[in-house]
Amino acid sequence: MTLAETLIHLLPRGDSRRFGEVFLEHLEDGTLRARHRHDRMELEGLEELSSPQELREMAKWDTKGEYRPLKTAPNLISGWVTSCQDSSEFLKRLDAIYPGVFATWAAYEKGTHDPTPLRDTLDRQTGMYRFAGSITDQMANEIMRETCAKGCLRTIAWPISSECPTSRLKRPPQDIPVICTEACTFAVSEARRLVKEAYDKANPPSES
Amino acid sequence: MSLPKPDSALLILGHGSTENPDSSQPSWDHAETIEKSEQFGSVHCAFWKEEPSFRQIWPMIEEKEVYVVPNFISEGYFTRQVLPRELGLDGHTTEVGSHTVHYCDPVGIHSRMTDLLIKRAREIIDEGVRLEETCLIIVGHGTNLNKKSTDAITAQVEAIRASGAPFAEVLDAYMEEAPFIADWQTLTDAPTVVVVPFFIADALHSYQDIPVLLGIESEPTEAASQREVFRQNPYHFGDRVLYYSSAIGTDPSLSEVILDQVEYFDEHYRS
Repeated sequence: MTLAETLIHLLPRGDSRRFGEVFLEHLEDGTLRARHRHDRMELEGLEELSSPQELREMAKWDTKGEYRPLKTAPNLISGWVTSCQDSSEFLKRLDAIYPGVFATWAAYEKGTHDPTPLRDTLDRQTGMYRFAGSITDQMANEIMRETCAKGCLRTIAWPISSECPTSRLKRPPQDIPVICTEACTFAVSEARRLVKEAYDKANPPSES
Repeated sequence: MSLPKPDSALLILGHGSTENPDSSQPSWDHAETIEKSEQFGSVHCAFWKEEPSFRQIWPMIEEKEVYVVPNFISEGYFTRQVLPRELGLDGHTTEVGSHTVHYCDPVGIHSRMTDLLIKRAREIIDEGVRLEETCLIIVGHGTNLNKKSTDAITAQVEAIRASGAPFAEVLDAYMEEAPFIADWQTLTDAPTVVVVPFFIADALHSYQDIPVLLGIESEPTEAASQREVFRQNPYHFGDRVLYYSSAIGTDPSLSEVILDQVEYFDEHYRS
């Protein structure tokens, strides 16, 4: 089954799904439509965005006009709608809003894409991030709580280390899940910051 | 000609940025151009600092065969260490999961970049400016941490000199190592100076940092996409005239260089 076919399997004709902050519909006439879930009750007045390029540009900015580097941050702007008949094109449009998120879920559910433990991600780093791997479990929990849970819609699917038991995420019937199978650049940067902060605290500059 | 490749995917790799909104745009623009040309079954981008990340990209690609072209300006830390590590590559061709992945050279080292730099310099100067009285400066980042960081630029400077393009001088200069771009007024006596940044995007370095070093801005401006007016050439410094180009990586012809690197791969690395 292709990704576009998988999408139609999860979003059958006449049905709707939640996908992060996006409300997806597959109308009886075959039209596939997406808009911000805040706009799900009202179509009138929404700006029609008809290409992945237009949607990518929309998703680049928050309501204050600030750059939005993390696409699954919980601050997608509303006031737009996109619709088309072709499922491959529809998937490209969803990828412009949430890059790769649908493919990640499809591969995870199929069992072809396993989550990477946080410590594996951090231990792999080089250059300015090479010390990130020395975080404590307490720091890892702080990252998950303060950086991931507060700043991102994704549900974490990775364990802190390969020894930690994890259970497979299940799809709520009305959702297409937005999951995280590997810590992103923000989490890695935060790990580096916490390690550096702890080092600087333990090794204050000597007063000479 | 090994193109088109309707059964293969093309993956363009960029650095991206968590702070500058313009860093990834050239990669998306080149991907769109190539997608419209229907040379590949599908065209994708992935980034180090944006999404989709290098680690997220494989589930998105449905073709078995994938050509990967780094939209990076030089060979070095990123193209030799970070990108192969993050993508799980260990040579020119690697089996990654269900994919056969061909890892091409970065765009910046393709010989065609020389013509592109000359073309860009000619395009931005006004009609009537004599190249024989013009110094062309190719500016890069440079760092004292890596002796090879300037290789790509010095190679281009030598190639432009050898090309017969009638510039009075062709020089290299850098943000963070000598010869410093901040010293451009003493690096050359030419009455007209044209500076072309050897960068992928009009992002932090080429749009915000270098203009301050050149003296055309007093402090870093907002990002290019957040300003109403793009800069206007030329700039006058006493009797001398300075032209400053946008980054070479924003040139639409870069999409052709990406395809050239795919063909170069087939000719030189494919067994």
